This record gives sequence, structure tokens and C-alpha cells, in this order.
Amino acid sequence: MIQIKKEGNGLVSKLRLSVIAVLAIGLVAGVTPSNAAQKAPKQIRILYATAEANSAAVQAALPSFKTKTGVQLVMDTMPYGALQTKVFAEFAAKSSYYDVVIVDTPWSPALAQNLEPLSGYMTNASLNNLVPLNSADFIPKVFYDTAVYNVKKPSLHYPKPTATVDAAAIKKAGFDVYGLPVQANALALAYRKDLFEDPAQKAAFKKEAGRALTVPKTLDEFAEVAEFFTQPDKKLYGTTLMAGTGDWSTDDFKTLLAAYGGDGYMVGNNQELNFNSAAGVRALTYYRNLIKSGFTPPGTTSASWDEVATMFNSGLTAMTMNYHDLKLDASIAGGVIGYAKVPSANSEGPHFGTWMLSVNKYSKNKEWGYRAAQWLTSAAQSTAMLSKGIHPARNSVYASAEKLPDANLAAYYKTLKQALAVGAGRPRLTNYGEVNAVIFTMVNNVATGKLEPKPALAAAAVEVEKLLVSAGYTVPK
Amino acid sequence: MRSELTELNQASTTRTLKLARRQSEPAFPNKGKIRNRIYWLQMSPALIILLLMTIAPAIFLISKSLTNDSLLNSTSNFVGLQNYQAILTDASLLHSARVTAAFVALVVLIEMVAGLFFAQFLYKKTRANSVAGALLIIPFAVAPAVSAMVFRELLNPNYGWVNYFMGLLGLPDQIDWLGNSFTAWVALVGLDVWQWTPFVALILIAGMSALPAEPLEAASVDGANAWQIFRHISFRLLAPFIGIALVLRTIQAFKTFDSFLILTGGGPGDSTSPMNLEIYRVALQSFRVGYASSMAIILLIAISILTPLLLKILSRATQNEEV
Repeated sequence: MIQIKKEGNGLVSKLRLSVIAVLAIGLVAGVTPSNAAQKAPKQIRILYATAEANSAAVQAALPSFKTKTGVQLVMDTMPYGALQTKVFAEFAAKSSYYDVVIVDTPWSPALAQNLEPLSGYMTNASLNNLVPLNSADFIPKVFYDTAVYNVKKPSLHYPKPTATVDAAAIKKAGFDVYGLPVQANALALAYRKDLFEDPAQKAAFKKEAGRALTVPKTLDEFAEVAEFFTQPDKKLYGTTLMAGTGDWSTDDFKTLLAAYGGDGYMVGNNQELNFNSAAGVRALTYYRNLIKSGFTPPGTTSASWDEVATMFNSGLTAMTMNYHDLKLDASIAGGVIGYAKVPSANSEGPHFGTWMLSVNKYSKNKEWGYRAAQWLTSAAQSTAMLSKGIHPARNSVYASAEKLPDANLAAYYKTLKQALAVGAGRPRLTNYGEVNAVIFTMVNNVATGKLEPKPALAAAAVEVEKLLVSAGYTVPK
Repeated sequence: MRSELTELNQASTTRTLKLARRQSEPAFPNKGKIRNRIYWLQMSPALIILLLMTIAPAIFLISKSLTNDSLLNSTSNFVGLQNYQAILTDASLLHSARVTAAFVALVVLIEMVAGLFFAQFLYKKTRANSVAGALLIIPFAVAPAVSAMVFRELLNPNYGWVNYFMGLLGLPDQIDWLGNSFTAWVALVGLDVWQWTPFVALILIAGMSALPAEPLEAASVDGANAWQIFRHISFRLLAPFIGIALVLRTIQAFKTFDSFLILTGGGPGDSTSPMNLEIYRVALQSFRVGYASSMAIILLIAISILTPLLLKILSRATQNEEV
């Protein structure tokens, strides 16, 4: 009887051990990607943006993945508005249809919990055997702003935004990686190099300003040069501004806010309304004055990034600020474009908005989804996409970019890299779309002269606070 | 002499209207009732499906409007009328409601008057009118988003055709159409009127073509002039068609979205920001489904109240014409 009991106890112990072992394996397998290679699917489906993240460049890179792995990458593209709705609808339905999804930074705070955390994948050598990950190659500011979140509190930004990218360190700090940056857009200054180097213009400027005509580095210089080039009778204006009602005017404002030493994110990690500040007043006053003085062409207060590109490309302005390289119309004889960082006052933080490739948490092919995203954002593929105008997020790719035969593109990439290194992204809010609408309405009201900067900012702060509270945030007093 | 003529005209109009009404009355009323029942029976399957497709979503929308549901948030709480209270006390949303009401009133009024005007000239069956009728389809066959984009280009203060031709005519040619509240409204209303007046005109042309010739001829023989014939006979007989155009255009105008988003983006400031744009931002940018549903329900209630009210006003107006 006793013996039987002992045997029985032994069986129970063995069973317990087996169950614990199975549970432990299951737990580990559930938390981190398995080392055993997941069976290769026939295809990986990607949902991507049509225009905003250069789908043509990425599309051209898809066949190389099939050549290397035998897995076909199938990409669906959509314009911005439809894409946002589609992405949110896919995640709301917990759909596994798309394995990899492109995500814009304003969406991430709401989406993060639906994206697969990638730090485990990044540190798993077997998942990075197609091409080296080399995470340290990513431009730190871009990487942290785009892809690193604390999913429990998605409003937080990574505390060390200039540290070399290291997945293990990110995980240790309580954050994780929710995608790999694929397209990094930042605001940069473009100017008519031919006009700036024209001896007659140089002499005239010297006579008028008492100094040499140079590409403006400060906001004061920018206003001075804009005034100099403004000659409406010759259909020439100093600069463009994107003061229309839309995301673009918020981005203009936050760039100036950062340039005057304010918080370029506008709203802090703990929902401090930092845009309503002395720097905010200075930024808006400067913006309004440029328009009011007539240094910008007619249509500025309804312009978006498309209109200002047309204005500059057609020779209507001597300078512009935009998020991509520009090409002057063929009718402008001898026209050459130069690029530079956006002018600053006592600080800098040009707006950047980047896109990442994220793995769908509900995908049945997460490992292969990661492999596809890692392949498409690798240094080799990003370099191959340069000629098609991709905006890479890796330092090494910019070294190649500056050697491109297309001098205009090479010059642009040089400036873009500088801008990305110091850029400021967006506040991390689940209802950023509504907050953004309040801010761009306020900026536009100031630009048109309907409101004065200080009361406009105060009124916008009240509105934004209401929106944040309605979205469940607590706004500090 | 003039009063005698007026009396003669009124008597003639009354006779003509009675004649028109008699022509439309059925000869056997009971037969009509039976026929009506058969019609209802035949329509019932489609009607049931239609009700399921319209009433069910409306009930779902109402239930969502009483929650704080968010698309990606799994927790959804019943909040009662809290969303409605927030909307009805939000100054910016009330402003949007005013923008919507002003837009609907303006465009529907202009389109009804202009549509009626064009119909007067185009309803007669001539070869030129056939061509004109075909051309009328073009504006509302164009996708609203496309026409808004084209208008935005045409109104560009630096390269647009509108300023260019205004300059040729010696008019101001530096107008920043979309940068000023008044001109932005002109642009929005202009786009809508361009796009939808032909729709109204086509409905009214169909109506005018179906008018019985006898009452009009009788009135003419009795000495009524063109305006009197139009005012006392054509307009009244056209009332059902005017009602259809009015209701359809009112509902469509309430739903206008693309032109606001693309042409003005609600600007300058928020001067052209209608409810639909606000609903879009809340529903499809922040995905706050509960709150957006409440906004949509308020708009639905406004349309539901307004539509029968308009028909009643129209009916009363035409009844008053009867002597």
C-alpha cells in the first residue's frame, strides 16, 4: 500500500514536472519568437501608403525578397485618409490579413497595443540572417520617435532620444520597438541657388542690407532675405509658408516654436500644454508678420505642401520649406536649387514625421512579417531605393546618398540627414487628429489676421485641454 | 378694366385647375384601393429589406451614441446622454451646426430657383434642348472630390483661370479665394450650385414635360400671360416635382463633405467647417465611435425634422395659390 502510494507520488511528481515544463516552454514561446524557423508562407501581405511614404521605391524592392527567400511580398497601397481608416479597421477587427502594416506616427499611440513588439525579434540572430539588422545604424532621433513606445503609457517619449539604438537597452528601460522606420520626412529649406549666387542680386543685397547675401541661418536673416527677394511686379516673392487649414500649418508652427526655444512637440509627455507659451507667441507673431508684410505669395493662407511646391517650382518664390526634394519647371532657365536646414532662433527642431513598417500582432506569419520589414528597411535595400527618392532612416544610407549622380537629390539628402538629426516629432496622443485641428485652425486664424497670437494660443489651449480630458487624459494645471 | 381682367384670369385659372384635377381623378375609386393593396403586397419584400437596411443601422447608431466606445478600445461604457450634452454645449460644434445650416439654406435656395429657371427654357422638345439635357448631366456625374480639386486649381490666386479671366475683364485679379471667409463661402456655394443645379433642373424638366397641355392652353386662351400661367398653373402642378428636388437636394446638401474637405479644409480658420467635417475628424481620425455617433444622430434628427417641414411648407404654398 505504502509502496503503491510512493509509486503514485512519483507519477504525480513526474506529471507535475512535465506540466511545468510544457507551461514554461509555452510561456517562453509566447513571449519571445521561437528559435525554430517558422514555416515559410507563400506570401506576406503588406499594407502601405500610396504617396506619402514613396510606395514606388518600396514596390521596386519587393521582387528581391522573393529571389532571396522564395516568399512573395504583396503590397496594397492606399491614399492617406483611406489608409488610416483601413489600418484602424483592420486592427479593430483583429484581422490577420495583412502581416505588415505601415504606420504613421500620429496613429501609433492608439495602435501600439495592436502592433507586435519587436525587441525579441531584433535580438534573435536566426530572424536577422537574411541581411544584418545593424540597429545602431538607425538615426537615433528618428528611430525613437517613430518606433519606440511604452505600451502601458503610450504618451511617453523615450527618455534618451539620441542614444545609439539598442533593442535590449530599450526593453530594459520599459519600452519596446513597434516597427522599423521606412520613410523619414523632415522639414528642410530649399532656395534658388542661382538667385543667391547671381552677382547682381548679391550686389543689390549688399547695398540694401549692408552684408553679404547668404543662405539664411537665423529667422531674422530669413525674414531679411525674404523681404529682399519680394518683388511682386516681377512675380517673385521671398518665401512660401504653408498657412492653410491642415496638418501643414501645425507643422510650420511647431517648427518655429522649437526654433524659439519652445517644446517642438507642443504637448508634453504628461499632457502639459507647452505650445501656449512665450515661445509660442513669438513663433506665431513671426509667422503672421512674414505673411502680413507680403513676403509670401497670394494664396499662402490657404496653401498646403502641394501648393507651396508648385509655387516654388514655378519660380514664384526664392525660398520654400517642404518635406521632399523639389524640381524647378523647365521654363526657368538656369534655375538651380540648394538646400539647407530650416533657420533657427535660439534653438531648433524642424518638424519630422516618419513612417514605420510594423508587424501585425494578429498575423499568422509574424516572424516572416518581421523578416520582410527588416529586409525592406535594411541599409542595402534603402540604398537601392535612393534613386527613387526614398527618405531613409539609416546613417550609412545617407553616406551613399550624398554620392548620387543626381546633384539635386544628393544635395537634398545631405540636408535631410541634418534635419532628421535635430527634428521634433508629434505629441503622442490618441486623439491627435482633433488636437491638430484646433491648432491648425488657430495658426490659420493668426495667419489671416483674424486673431492675435497671444489670445489665439490661450483659446486653443482651452480647446485642447477639453479634448484631452474627453479622451481620458489628465491635464496638469 | 384691370380688376375685371384679373377676375377673368382668376376665374379662368380656377376652371383650368379643376379641369386638371378632374383629369387626374380615378374613374372607379374602389378599383384603385384594391390596386393599391396589390401594389403594397408586391412591394413588401423590397420594403422589408429596405427597412432592415436602414432602420437596423439607425438603431445600432443610436445605441453606440449612448456609449464612450472607441474603435480600438475594448472597454465600452454606457454614458447615457453625456455625449449629447457635450455636443450641445460645445461652442465649436454649435458653430459647425450653424455653418451646415447656412450652407444648406443657401445652396438649396439658389439651386431651386436656378433649376426652375433653366427648366423653363429647356423642357420643350427641341434638338438644342436634347443636347443641353445631355450636357446637364456632366456636372453631377463628376465625383465631388474631383470637382473640388479642379475648383481649387481654378481658384488658385497665382495660376488659376478665374483670376486670370477676371483680370482680362478689368476686375480684381489678386483674389485669394480660399484665404478669406467670404470668398471661401462664395467658392463653396459656387461649386455646389455648379454641380447640383443641373440635377434640380433635370427633375423639373421631367416634371414640366409631363404637365398636361390643356390647362396651359386654356389659360392662354383665357388671356393669362406667361408669368400668370407659370405662377398659378405650372408651379402648382409642378409642386410634387419641386418637392422631390427640394427634399433630395436638402438631404444631399446636409451630407456635403468632399468639397469642404478638399476645397477649404474648413478654413479659413473654422469659417467653413460643417458638422460632417467634425464628424470625420472624431470618427475617422480619432475613432471615437460613441461621440461621433451622437453627432451623426443629431444631424439625422435635423434632417428628419426638416424634410417633412419643407414638404409641408411647399404644400401650403401651392394650396394658397388655389383661388
